[in-house]
Amino acid sequence: MNDMLHPEVVDRLAGEYVLGTLEGGARRRFQQLMLERPAVRVAVAAWEGRLHKLATSVPAQMPSPKVWAAIEARTRPGPRDERQGAGWWGWVRGLGQAAVAAACGVLLTLGLVRSWPEAFVTVDQVAQREQVLPQSYVGLLLDAESRPALLVSSTRHGTHVAVKSLRVLEPPAGKVLQVWALPREGVPFAIGVATVTKPPGSTSFELSESSEALLSKVGQLAVSVEDAPVAPGAAPSGPFLLKGHCVKLW
Amino acid sequence: MTAIPTPKSNELAEQLARVALRDHAALRRVYEMTSSHLFGVALRILGRRDLTEEVIQDAFVNVWNHAGSYRVAQSQPMTWLISIVRNKALDVVRSAVVRRETEMPTDEEGEVRDIPDTRPQALELLMQAAQTLRIRECLAALDASQRQCLALAYYQGMSHAEVAEHLSAPLGTVKTWVRRGLERLKHCLGSEA
Repeated sequence: MNDMLHPEVVDRLAGEYVLGTLEGGARRRFQQLMLERPAVRVAVAAWEGRLHKLATSVPAQMPSPKVWAAIEARTRPGPRDERQGAGWWGWVRGLGQAAVAAACGVLLTLGLVRSWPEAFVTVDQVAQREQVLPQSYVGLLLDAESRPALLVSSTRHGTHVAVKSLRVLEPPAGKVLQVWALPREGVPFAIGVATVTKPPGSTSFELSESSEALLSKVGQLAVSVEDAPVAPGAAPSGPFLLKGHCVKLW
Repeated sequence: MTAIPTPKSNELAEQLARVALRDHAALRRVYEMTSSHLFGVALRILGRRDLTEEVIQDAFVNVWNHAGSYRVAQSQPMTWLISIVRNKALDVVRSAVVRRETEMPTDEEGEVRDIPDTRPQALELLMQAAQTLRIRECLAALDASQRQCLALAYYQGMSHAEVAEHLSAPLGTVKTWVRRGLERLKHCLGSEA
């Protein structure tokens, strides 16, 4: 390989490479050399600058419109389709498809909004579009040594509470981790049971009412170890294992 | 037959810079400015429109993904684009499937080669380019076979073996002609990128 790296040899090979007569294994080895050696790339660029002037005399040939359409399909990010290159027919066809899609969309929307209002646009989709986090209640619960252990969150008007384990939590066998809401005034009340998962595992539980109804006056969340999910109105049986502020994210 | 007007390099370079910033409209502009010339270059090598379409597609997807690697200081934008297209066309034409088809005596069989018979011969293209580039006298130092060699390799994408067969010349002789031809071209075309 040493003699191959002599500048004169590199220059000759670069010329043959750009011309196209360097073939097979020699071409592949030379391409590898280009990746490894800047000097080889410089030689190739110089030959490209020279030889491709010769392309000036090649008659132009108009590619068919489907070439751009295919390029667009492969490069345009996401499902957006502006149909720039599809020509007149593509535009007409696009209008037709848009009309059918719009009609389907209206029917689908009516059905969905009636039967399943929250599903129409997900919170995440809205958040993505607005570039902000959705309005939520979020609690970061710390252990006795102030290490983050559990992330509890729920959208403001939802009843679904997402629980993410940040540390390994292992209640004694047969016991449950009871989640409590600690109002700024008043006594703690149980809101649900967190299933133990390996970090960074996620689980969830459902609230009896919306987050807004239950948590708007709550300053902290906490977790205690209980024999079984506590009955409504019951008090924690022991000290809190985890505890942290509950904040409004809006 | 007219020489292809090269798009204004500055504008093309600017559009490529925008493509690097994921401006899809700029990709469209680059395509409008260059695709017919690039298509012509690839079609001469491949001889088939369907393969040429695939090469042009791949090339522009490549441009979309790698426009950031284009360096104005290193090469003219059109040179960079021709390099991408020609390399892809050469890869395709060297693959076994295409080789078999292009080795057929297809110049008389229009259904295999899509280029009409009236197309300029490779040597004509070389001499026409030489005229435009004002290197005709310089190239005169090469004999006709050497010029023919270069022209077939550059415009038709022929390998040494294909050129040898086409000119009914020994392989070793063709290799020597190509090497001398390149040396002469380097002298004639200068070293600027």
